[in-house]
Amino acid sequence: MLEKQNLRSLCLLILPVIVLVVLVEIMDIRLYSRIATTLLINLILVLGLQIFMGNSGILSFAHIGFMGVGAYTTAVLTMPAQMKSMALPDLYAVLKVVEINPILGIIAGGVLATVLAAVISYPLMRLSDAAAVITSFAVLVIMHTVMVHWSAVTNGPRTLFGIVNATDLKTSAIAAAIAIAMAIWFKESRIGVLLRATRDDEVAASAIGANISHLRWKAFMLSALYAGIGGGLWAHFITSFSPNAFYLRETFVILGMLVIGGAATVSGAVFGTFAVTIAFEGLRTFENAINAANIITRPVVGLTEIVLACAMIGVLILKPGGIIDTREIGELPIWDRLFAKKPG
Amino acid sequence: MGKGPNRSPAHSFLHACHIRIDTAVSQQTVFHWIYSPMTDHRLSATDISVEFSGLRALDHVTLDIGKSEIVGLIGPNGSGKTTLINVITGQVHPVSGSVSVNGNEITRMLPRKIALKGITRSFQIVRLFDNLTVVKNVETTALAKGASRKAATALGLDLLAEFGLSDFADQLAGTLSYGDKRKVEIVRALAGEPHFLLLDEPAAGLNEAESETLLSILSELPHRKNLGMLIIDHDMTLIMRLCHRLHVLSSGKTIGQGDVDDVRNLPEVIDAYLGTGESEGVENA
Repeated sequence: MLEKQNLRSLCLLILPVIVLVVLVEIMDIRLYSRIATTLLINLILVLGLQIFMGNSGILSFAHIGFMGVGAYTTAVLTMPAQMKSMALPDLYAVLKVVEINPILGIIAGGVLATVLAAVISYPLMRLSDAAAVITSFAVLVIMHTVMVHWSAVTNGPRTLFGIVNATDLKTSAIAAAIAIAMAIWFKESRIGVLLRATRDDEVAASAIGANISHLRWKAFMLSALYAGIGGGLWAHFITSFSPNAFYLRETFVILGMLVIGGAATVSGAVFGTFAVTIAFEGLRTFENAINAANIITRPVVGLTEIVLACAMIGVLILKPGGIIDTREIGELPIWDRLFAKKPG
Repeated sequence: MGKGPNRSPAHSFLHACHIRIDTAVSQQTVFHWIYSPMTDHRLSATDISVEFSGLRALDHVTLDIGKSEIVGLIGPNGSGKTTLINVITGQVHPVSGSVSVNGNEITRMLPRKIALKGITRSFQIVRLFDNLTVVKNVETTALAKGASRKAATALGLDLLAEFGLSDFADQLAGTLSYGDKRKVEIVRALAGEPHFLLLDEPAAGLNEAESETLLSILSELPHRKNLGMLIIDHDMTLIMRLCHRLHVLSSGKTIGQGDVDDVRNLPEVIDAYLGTGESEGVENA
């Protein structure tokens, strides 16, 4: 059961999602709709990373690999058979005839990512600090390599095309709202509270009886479920992609959103996703404007990544926990002052 | 040495405390008689030896704690007191010896499994979950034992009220004063409803008033919570007033154990722990 402050946080965090959808629907501009949909899918991915990284305190690079698992799973399961013969000529016979509803495909992608995460991560959850980070990076490399070379299912390093377009703004908004609610519920659940205790002090947590590796394992699986579903939604939105979409650049963007917003809070994840997306789009427009005006003789490229990297460095120096680092937005003292009963 | 007009400053301090200590001990004796240890509830560390890179930190140490009993573990710095608690709670594995609780062997068990067997502890340097609220800190021990959030919160709030910490329930633990952190750490350990509570220097860093409050809290715990306690501390007044028995370590070896009065007067204990020179004192012991 969620406390009053958590319900307040939930309402305040779903509010920007609703406002975004309403604004985009009113403006009815396709570009804005695409940006908003991408933002909401990224929000699911960032929340997934927050569930593991924010609550356990362990940085994971593997997250985007599970996004790839979700994307390829739903792509293969939902693509029309005729399209499969062109896009995936070497696909296994048993999969050639499978053609399920995209919603089922997205769920299947999430489930497969969860199962894969359960198997891969079980022995890794005993590790902490640098060892845990390096092994998660190794897992990402393994998953990327498999995606690049498993041509029968992924079309190898080449772009896989022909995926059913099934994700729109409203679908992604509903999924994002559910993702926010689940992230808050998990944080306040028995596992979430114990996992946060292990984040603060592993020795003390084991001394009170917390099973650290088991708690991390459960969070990692839920995190992979988010990544798998996020990947599936993205696949049905973008409709064509290659394995490079699930590697370092996307990892850096998702990680940047979480670190800047504040990894320890769901509010930080939501704030970081909105702030970085708005900054990204602003910088992209700025970059295009400079290039169009020919102010500089050479074209300006990579401005967004450089600014994101600088923002990450700046936040880590000035506020290592991120912009919203300890308390959720609904737990801030301002609400108690606002709603406090006046004496007399 | 340590007798007559040439006694050390440390011994003079103890001597000055004598009447107060005797009064406290007599109270404890009555208390101890009423709540005598049950033979089937014992925490036993038997013949424990520990080595760190060839250096022997504990050398064939045997310690026993009964339920409703408070045992003081004292000795100079580096004598192996914390190491013994670490062995009992599974943080350090002994090279020989065994630890058992209520007759069940727990040697080399994982710390979390030992905690679930009913042995909880506090640490020499306070180890709270700084980014969790005080009530959530207390809840964690019950949650680890399998309690639901609702039940754990109710238990946490009850315990905080019992120890006069209700005002801090929603405050982040990292923002508490040092004395309150110490108290919360003890309350957190109690939330697991332990059979045995091991406290590593609970009075360290506390002022006189805080120390007195702690003393009154701790002295009632065995009765209120039906548990046995092992306490390490350098505050001799607290130890003498609180403990039913003492166990003295020096350089990893037991140099004295038994009733407070007997141990206090052992020449080996006075020599090794209280010191014989002018430069040594109780605070450094």
